[in-house]
This record gives sequence, structure tokens and C-alpha cells, in this order.
Amino acid sequence: MDSRSWTSTCSGGTHVVGESRVPIKQGGDIITARQQGRALAAQLGFSSADQTLIATAISEMARNILVYAKVGEIIVRPEHNGKAGITIIAHDAGPGIPDINRAMQNGYSTSGSLGVGLPGTKRIMDEFLIVSEVGKGTTVTMKKWKT
Amino acid sequence: MRVPILKQGSYLIASIQDALSDEDLAQLQQELVARVGQARTRGVIIDVTALDVMDSFACRTLRDLAHTITLRGAETVIVGIQPDVAFALVRLGLSLSGAQTALDLEDGLALLDQHLQRGNTRGR
Amino acid sequence: MADPRQPRTTLALMREMGLTEEVVARRKAFLEFGAEDVERLRGLHDLAAQYADGVIEDFYSHLLSFEETQKFFTDPAILARVKAAQKQYFLELTQGQYDAPYVEDRLRIGVAHERINLPIELYLGAYNFYLRTVMLRLVEGYKNNPEQSTATLGSLLKLVFLDMGLATETYLFRRERTIREQQEAIREISTPVLPLRERLLLLPIIGAIDPPRAQQITTQLLQSIRAHRAKVVVMDITGVPTVDSAIANHLIQTVQAARLMGATVIVSGLSPEVAHALVRIGVDLSAVNTVGTLQDGIEAAEQLLGYIVSKAGDTGTSHNPAGS
Repeated sequence: MDSRSWTSTCSGGTHVVGESRVPIKQGGDIITARQQGRALAAQLGFSSADQTLIATAISEMARNILVYAKVGEIIVRPEHNGKAGITIIAHDAGPGIPDINRAMQNGYSTSGSLGVGLPGTKRIMDEFLIVSEVGKGTTVTMKKWKT
Repeated sequence: MRVPILKQGSYLIASIQDALSDEDLAQLQQELVARVGQARTRGVIIDVTALDVMDSFACRTLRDLAHTITLRGAETVIVGIQPDVAFALVRLGLSLSGAQTALDLEDGLALLDQHLQRGNTRGR
Repeated sequence: MADPRQPRTTLALMREMGLTEEVVARRKAFLEFGAEDVERLRGLHDLAAQYADGVIEDFYSHLLSFEETQKFFTDPAILARVKAAQKQYFLELTQGQYDAPYVEDRLRIGVAHERINLPIELYLGAYNFYLRTVMLRLVEGYKNNPEQSTATLGSLLKLVFLDMGLATETYLFRRERTIREQQEAIREISTPVLPLRERLLLLPIIGAIDPPRAQQITTQLLQSIRAHRAKVVVMDITGVPTVDSAIANHLIQTVQAARLMGATVIVSGLSPEVAHALVRIGVDLSAVNTVGTLQDGIEAAEQLLGYIVSKAGDTGTSHNPAGS
């Protein structure tokens, strides 16, 4: 039989760079979330300019959670579709957004805290999907591909 | 994480050392505004070299802070914005309108000197 | 395998190529490669171990009888080494585990082939011979059970196609990456940053700007501002044939970002045609400091920095304070 140690390489598995989840409950969690995002982006080989854009997008979305839903979660994970990328999911079970179209307009904010929030963040990512239901919560899924 | 504020002549220099939470930033804002009133401060420099991310909240806080300091009779210069951060701010559609910017502490001080000399003489 | 670095780099490659567990599972599903195939291949292992040496010998005598492939094995030491590796590969086909380490190993084969520049048609041609050699022995070994023979051959084909897919893909991926890296290198050379005076940089841009180059110019400009402590940058685009709205907006954003860093960017060499075109498509250039020629740009920059330039021997009213 082949004597090579499968198990040792096996433990590394296919999930070399995995998903990480950061619960968002307080201000400091925003920093943790964007640090996780930047670290993953760096591992995936994103340029430092892109790493900063990704960290900034995470920061915006994490703050959205804190301001509107109080608690939620940021998930960052590697993405692939022929090319390498990163996916960021911001999820909360908060009040939801009644009018997404309006929320996506520049300068719109209900709490007065988010001048550029959603539209600005959409601009710096390659893909941006928002699903929200009043009373149920909001999930924003964003992707950025390596150029 | 508290931000140390140094007094140098008629200037106050706040050097941000590490990533700031929203609470830290809000605290810095209060403290700076209070100290501008206490000592006869003519200029304030906020050094953000250590910030690797500036999102809309940070940007707006700094902008408001600069505005408030102006109302209290001093000038604000934000120094040390990193290249990647500057680009991210622009891409997000954010601006520091109203606040002056300079490359680093040295340039920030020179800028304040230049502006204040134009007004009157000043002792450091 | 003697090289402890190797697995790590292949793992990184696997990640870059996006070959996660799910992706590999989908490929297997498409090939209809399932548990019964694994069983059949495992059942073949003892037989395979018996005829392994024969297959390898036939395979290499085939390769050595062609000029195209011969040249890869001129060194007897290399030949001995690849024969050993080939035997191992051969036995792995029937060891019954086709998970992450297996995939990683196939990538390693692709990498090795790319490194020696083995043409893909030779890889496929060699594989064909290999398969036929194995087939003969398999049919012989299962001659009392033709049904089992056909089914096992089918399973083997599925696995072999999975392997070939992975190896050629790696091959192409590495090629593409090399091309990308070369493009990046060219881009970097094509946009030099020249310190003209203390705190004044010149960034001459020549040739068409596509979005990746625009991004690269931005990064280079902003980083140079910091590295050189520049206060003024003249970006000369005389050598840029066309500027569309996307590129123009990118340049505007770069100028704004530079301003946040305390530097002023002057854009020179915007031709009247380009300027008109930009205005027509609604690009607002009012936030950008534009001048006609590179000379105008440099003069404007010197003025901003407080230089007064005069000719030597000129007895005019001005003198050069830069010298003092």
C-alpha cells in the first residue's frame, strides 16, 4: 500500500482559509469584524487598496447592524467563481427596512447616522444584494472579486 | 483606547494610536472641544496615521469636530490620512469638507504657522 | 514530497483556483463518479499493483521512442525519478480515496508539467497511451468477468478524466497567472514616478488606460505622495489617446484622494478634443486643476510651491530662492 500520510494533509483539508463569523453587539465588535475581513482579504491576495475597501464596507455594514438592529452578525468567507473573491454577509433580525429603494438612494438615512451607508458601500463592492423584511430583519450579501 | 492630546504652544495635537471604536472617537471629540476652550488654542492637529479604516462615522465625526473647533475660534488640520484610506473615502463618496488636510504632522504644523502668521504674530 | 514547502504551495494554488470541497464534489457529480466507482477502483488495486511495473515500462518505452517526448528524459536520473513518481501515481488511482489530498496531488502534476513546458497535446497523447496499456491488462485480468471489466473500466475513465481536468486546469491557471504578472510588470514600468524638485513629482502617463491600469496609477500616485512627501504632482496625460468617462471619473477620484493626503494634483496635456468629449458626456472636471501642456503644468506646480524660476544671468527682478 501507498505509505504516504494522507491524514496529515487531510487535516488541512480544503478549507484552508475558512469562514469567520463575528457577532456584532457593541462598538468594539465593528473593529473585530473589519480586522477579520482585512486579514482574510490579505490571505486571499487582495491588493492593500482593496483590503481597505473591504474593511471599510464591513465597518459600514456592522455599524448599520448596531444602529438599526442592535445585534447581528458579520460573516466573511472566501468566494470563487473561476476567480477568487470574498463574500461578506451582514445579517440581523432587526426591524427591517421598509423601503429598500429609498434606503439605497444617496444621502438617505433614518437615524441621521448614515450619510453614505448602503449606496456608498454598494459602490465599493462588486456585488451587493440586500434582502429585508419588516419585523424580520435584514441580510446584506456583498462580494468583491480579485482583479 | 484613549487618544493622547499634547499641547504645543498654542496648538493641540491629538495622535490617534490605534483603531478607534465609535465611543473612543466620541470621547476624543468631547475632550478636544473642551480643551480648545480652556487654553488659548489657535490650532488643532489630529493625526490619523494609525487609522487603517475610516468609515462614514469616523469621517463625519472628524468633519463635525473640525467645524466645532472653527466655531470656537481655532483651526483644524487632519494629518496622516493613508493612501488606501484616502482612496476608500473618495470611493465611498465621503469628504472632509471644511477640514484642512496635510501629509503629516510636520506639514500640518507648517500649515497652521503659515495661516496664523498671516493673521498676527504668535509665540510657540 | 521531499520538499516540505511543496504541499503548502499546492494548497495555496488549490485555494486560488477555487477548488473547494464543494467544487470538487460537483465535478465528481458531473462525471457521475460515486461510491460504487470508488469500490470498483479499490477492488482493482491488487491487480494494478501486479501489473504496475509492466505498464510503466511500456509507457516509458513509448515516450522514449518519440523525439518530442524523449527530450524530457535525457538525464537517466530524471527518468528513474519520474518512473518512480509515475508508479506512485498509478497506484494512487486505485487506492480508493479521492479527497482533498488526492486533488492536491493532481495539481502538483499539472504544476510539474507547466514547469517543464510540456505541450498539452503531448500530455493528452501520453495519457491516451497509458490508458490503452492499462485497458489491455485490465481486460486480461477480468477475462472471466466481462461485466466487471466494463464497469471497472468505466470507473477508471471517470477518475482519469477528473485527473486530466485538474492537471490541465492547473496548467492553464499557472500560464494565465504568469501572463497577468507580466502585464502587471509592464504596467509598473509604463508609469514612472519622477521626482522633479523637492516635493514635486511628475507622473507622465503614456498609452491607453484600462481600468486595471487606472487602479495601478492611483495606487502608485498616492503611495508616491507619501514616499516622496510630495506636495504637488503633475500628471501628464499628453500620451494618452482617449479618456472615457470611467477613466476620467477614476482620475477625478484620484485627485480628490491626493487632496485628502494634503497634495495637489495638476493634470496636464488634456487635449481640447478629449476635454470637449468629456464635457459632452457630462464629466465634471471643475474639481480638477487642468492645464494645457506639460510646461504649463510644471510652471503651475512651481508657483504653488513658491519657486520663482529665472534664467542664469537674467538681470530681471526675480532671483532663484531655491538656491538660497
